[in-house]
Amino acid sequence: MVEHGKIGLEARRWIALGVVGAIVLFLGTGLIRLQVIQHAELAERSENNRVRVVPIPPRRGYFYDREGRLVVSNRPSYTLAVIPAESSRETIPRVADLIGLDTAAVRERIRKNLISRYQPSQVKVDLPFGAVAQLEEQAELYPGVSYILDRVREYPADLRVESFIGYVDEVDRRELDTLDGERYHLGSMIGKKGLERSYDRTVRGREGTEFIEVYASGQVLGPYTERPSTPPEPGNDLELSIDIDVQRTAAQALQEFCCGAVVAMEPSTGDVLAMVSYPGYDPNIFSSVVSDSLWQALTSDSTHPLLNRPLNGQYAPGSTTKLITIGAGLEEGIIIPSSVYEPCYGGMQFGNRYFRCWYAPGHGTLDAIGAIEHSCNVYMYQLGLQLGIDKLADYFDRCGFGVPTGIDIAGESRGNVPNSAYYNKRYGERQWTRALVLNNAIGQGEILTTPLQLASFYCGLANGGVVNEPRLVRATIDHRTGRPTPMPIDSSYSLPFSDQTLDYLIESLARVVEGEEGTARSLKNDYYRIGGKTGTAQNPHGDPHSWFVGLAPVDDPQIVVAVIVENAGHGSEVAAPIAADVIQSYLFKQFNIVPEPELSLTVDDTTGLP
Amino acid sequence: MLDYRLLDWKLFAAALALSAIGIVLIYSAGHNSTNVYVQGFWLRQLQWLAVALFAYGVVIHLPPRLFDAGAYFFFAGVLALLVAVLLFGDDRLGARRWFDFGPISLTPSDIAKLALLLVLARFFAYTRLPVTSTRRLAISAFIVLVPMALIIKQPDLGSSLVLAVILLGLWFWSGLSPAYLFLVLSPFLSLAAAFHWLSWVIYLVVLLAFVLWRRPSFLFGFTVVVANLAFGTITPLVWNRLQPYQQQRILSFLDPGQDPRGAGYQIIQSKIAVGSGGITGKGYLDGSQSRLDFLPERHTDFIFSILGEEFGLIGSLIVLLLFAFILYRGIMIATKCRSRFLSYATFGVVSVLLFQLLVNVGMTLGMMPVTGLPLPFVSYGGTSLVLVWTLIGLMQLAHYHWQEY
Repeated sequence: MVEHGKIGLEARRWIALGVVGAIVLFLGTGLIRLQVIQHAELAERSENNRVRVVPIPPRRGYFYDREGRLVVSNRPSYTLAVIPAESSRETIPRVADLIGLDTAAVRERIRKNLISRYQPSQVKVDLPFGAVAQLEEQAELYPGVSYILDRVREYPADLRVESFIGYVDEVDRRELDTLDGERYHLGSMIGKKGLERSYDRTVRGREGTEFIEVYASGQVLGPYTERPSTPPEPGNDLELSIDIDVQRTAAQALQEFCCGAVVAMEPSTGDVLAMVSYPGYDPNIFSSVVSDSLWQALTSDSTHPLLNRPLNGQYAPGSTTKLITIGAGLEEGIIIPSSVYEPCYGGMQFGNRYFRCWYAPGHGTLDAIGAIEHSCNVYMYQLGLQLGIDKLADYFDRCGFGVPTGIDIAGESRGNVPNSAYYNKRYGERQWTRALVLNNAIGQGEILTTPLQLASFYCGLANGGVVNEPRLVRATIDHRTGRPTPMPIDSSYSLPFSDQTLDYLIESLARVVEGEEGTARSLKNDYYRIGGKTGTAQNPHGDPHSWFVGLAPVDDPQIVVAVIVENAGHGSEVAAPIAADVIQSYLFKQFNIVPEPELSLTVDDTTGLP
Repeated sequence: MLDYRLLDWKLFAAALALSAIGIVLIYSAGHNSTNVYVQGFWLRQLQWLAVALFAYGVVIHLPPRLFDAGAYFFFAGVLALLVAVLLFGDDRLGARRWFDFGPISLTPSDIAKLALLLVLARFFAYTRLPVTSTRRLAISAFIVLVPMALIIKQPDLGSSLVLAVILLGLWFWSGLSPAYLFLVLSPFLSLAAAFHWLSWVIYLVVLLAFVLWRRPSFLFGFTVVVANLAFGTITPLVWNRLQPYQQQRILSFLDPGQDPRGAGYQIIQSKIAVGSGGITGKGYLDGSQSRLDFLPERHTDFIFSILGEEFGLIGSLIVLLLFAFILYRGIMIATKCRSRFLSYATFGVVSVLLFQLLVNVGMTLGMMPVTGLPLPFVSYGGTSLVLVWTLIGLMQLAHYHWQEY
C-alpha cells in the first residue's frame, strides 16, 4: 500500500533520469544556439573585440617656393602620455616637474584624455627635445610614461608667411558634418586657414590603416597579421608663387614699423611673389595646444597680429587710386591729356566747405599727367565733380574694387565702393551732397580697398589691362612622379581703359618717380625704371596711413608692389622705400644685377615727399 | 580488503577525464598571463588532483558505517567552522569565506555541503515520520537553514543554494511526490507571480485548486496557502521600499543582459567566446577571447567558456555527456543500493553535481543568473576538487557496498 503523496522507487528513478536528461538537453540546446545558430554573429563580435583599426597619418605635402626652396615641411614631434595602470606614486610629480606644469594640472589632463587605465593618456604635445632626452636617459624615474612620435607642421617663423599659409589643427565636430567621412574623422588634422585650408585635399594625402590586436584592457599585443595593413598615401606638394627672397625682404622691411602690409605680384600671371601682414604671429604655435594666455595676448593686442592685412585690412586707398579718376576722365572724354582745370592754390571752395590740397602753397596749373605726378587734389576735385559719384564708382567697380579678387585662399574682404545707392541707403535720400565725390576722387571718404585689391589693379595696368586672378600656388607636384601640374592662369577681367589710356597712366606712374616734381623721386635708380603712386590715407585712428603702389620695370613690368604702413604719414617717406627694397630683391635676381658699392639705394630723408 | 574489480571503474574514469580536461583548460586560461602565479595554476590544480585522488582512495576504503555514525559530529564541527570563518576568516573582495593557511586556503562552505549531505542522509534514513508529515519536512528544513544562514552571511549565495538543493533532492528521493515538492516550493512562485496583481490572483486560484485536488494533510495544506499569501503580499511591499540601485542589482542578477558593463559584461563576453568557437572550436590555446583577457574569471567560474571557444560544440558536448554519465551512474547506484543512508547520500551527490552543472554552464551560456558556482571537476580550486572527489568516493562506496543494509 503506497502512502498518500509518496511515490515508488522505480518512478523516482525515472523522474530523476528524466530531470538529468532534460537539463543536459537544455544546456545542449543552449550550446547549439550559440555555437551553430549565432556562430557567425558572435565570431564577428569576437573579431571586433580584439582587433582595433589604427589610422596611420599620411605625410602632409610640402610647400616649396617658386624657385623650389622649402617653405613648409613636417618635423617630428613627441607627445608625452601617461599610462595610469603602469605609473607609480612619483610619476605624476616628476612629469609635472619635467614639463613645467603643476601636479594638479597634469592629473586633470590625464583624467580628461583617459580612454582606459591601460592606454596612454596624452599630457603634453610637442615635448621639447630636452625633455625627450631626459625621459630616454632616466626612463626608470618615469614609470608609466611614454612618448608618441608624431609629425607636425614646421613653418618658417621669420618670413611672416602665416597670412597665406594658415595652419592645421584637429578637425572639429561642426566641420565634420560637412566633410566626407572617408577622409576625415574625429582626430584627423585639417587645414584651418590659408593654403593649408584651400589645398587641404591636395596636400593631405590618404590615411593608411593598421590592424592591431589588443587585450581586453586595451593593451596592445601587436599587429594583427590576418589583415594586412594599408600604407598611407602621402599628400602632393605645392609649388608656391612666392619667392622667399622677396618675402623675406618685405617681412624685414616692415619690422621697423608698428603695422602694415606688403603684396608683391607678377602682373603677367597673377602670381603673388610676396605677401606679408605685419605684425603677424608664429604659425608654429598652432602645432601644439595654444595656451589660453597666449591666445589672450594675441587677440587683445592693439596691433591686431591676427588680422590678415593684405586680405582683410580695408583702408582708404588715398592718392593711389587717382589713376582711376584720371583714367575715367580720359575714357569718358571729359579730359584729354593736355586738359587743364582751374589752377591749384592749395585748395578749393565747394559749397560751404573748403577742400584742401595736400600741398598748401598750391600746384598752380597742371595737365592730367602733372596732376598725377604732383598728386594734386584740386585737379581731381574738379574732374570728380564732372564725372559724378556714380560714374566714378562704376570705374572703381570695373577696376576690381568692392569685390574679392578671387585669390586661391578664402576669407578675403570685399572693400567698399560707394555710389549714390549706397549713400541713399546710408544717409537717406537727399541727405547727402555731391561734395562726397570730391573725397572719392582722391581715394578718401568711404572708399575702402585691401592691399591685395590695389596690387591686383596695378597688375592689370602693368599687363595691358588684363587682370589675372591672384594666385599663390603655381603648381601641384605629384608625390610619386615629382611631376608638377601647373595651375591655370585665370584672366578674370579687363580694366575699362583703352591701350592709349593705359600707356598714358603707366607713363604718369613713371613721372611720379622720374619727374622733377614727382612724389617718389627717391626711387629713381640706374638699373631699371620704376613707376608708382604714393598715397596718404586719412583715417580716424591717428596719423594717415602711408601707401605706395609701384611697378617695375616701367617698359615691361615684371613686379607690382603694394605697400601700406599704418599711421606712418606720407607715402613717399615710408611706404615707397619699402617698395623699392622689395622690387630690388626681385629684379636684381631677375636681371643678374650686382650693385656697385657706392650706388646704394638708401632713401634720402630730405627729399622724401608723398 | 577491497576487491578492486568490483569498483565502478567507468565512474572513476569519467570523473578523472573531467579533472584532466579541467587541468588542460586551466593551462590554456593562464598560459600567456604575465603573472607567473597565474601561469602556474594548472600545476597547482594537478597537485590538488593528487590530493583529491588520495581523499577518494581513503573514502572508498572506509567502512560505510563510519560516515553514518560520524555525520552529526562532523556536522557540528562544520557549523563551528562556519561561525569561525565569519569571525576570523580572511576578507577577500568583501566576503569572508576563507581561512588562509599559507599557500592553502580552506573554504568551509565547501565542506558544509558534504556535512549537510551526510546529516540529511542520516536523518532521512532513520526517521520514522511519514514522508509527507509536516514535522519531518520542518525538521529537515531546520537542519539546512542553520548552515544556509551562516553561508548567506559570508555572503555566498551560490553555496547556500547548493545546500537548499540537497534538501530538495533528498525530499524527492525520500519519496515526496513532485506534486508535494511543487507545493513546498510554491511560496517562491508566489513571490514571482506577485509582481502583478492579476497574475498573482490567477496563480492563487490555480494553487488552491491544486491543494483541493491533491488533498494533503490539513496542516500541510494550510501552511502552504498561508506561506503563499505571505510571500505574495510582502514581496511588492519590500520591492517598493528598495532603492532603485538595489532593484537594479536584483534585475541585473536575473537578467545580466540589462547591465552590459557589470555582470552583463561577463555574460556577453562568455557568450561571444562560446559562440565564436563554433562547432570545432578555435583550437587549443587559440581562443582569442580567453588569450586576450576578454573572459573574466576564466580559471574558475567561466572555465566552460574556454572549452566552448577552443574546442567548440564537440568538446562541450563531450563534457556534458561525461557529466550525464556520472549522474546516470549516481542515480542507478542510489536506486539499487540497499543501505538507505548510502542511497540518500548518493542521491545528494547527484543533486549537488546536477545543480552546479546547470547553474555554471547555464551561466556561461547566458541562460542562468551569475551565481559564482564553479563547475565540478573542471574549475580551478583545490577545496572544491577535493570535495567533489570525496563525493565521488561516497558514490563509489555506495556502489561497492550496495548489497549491505
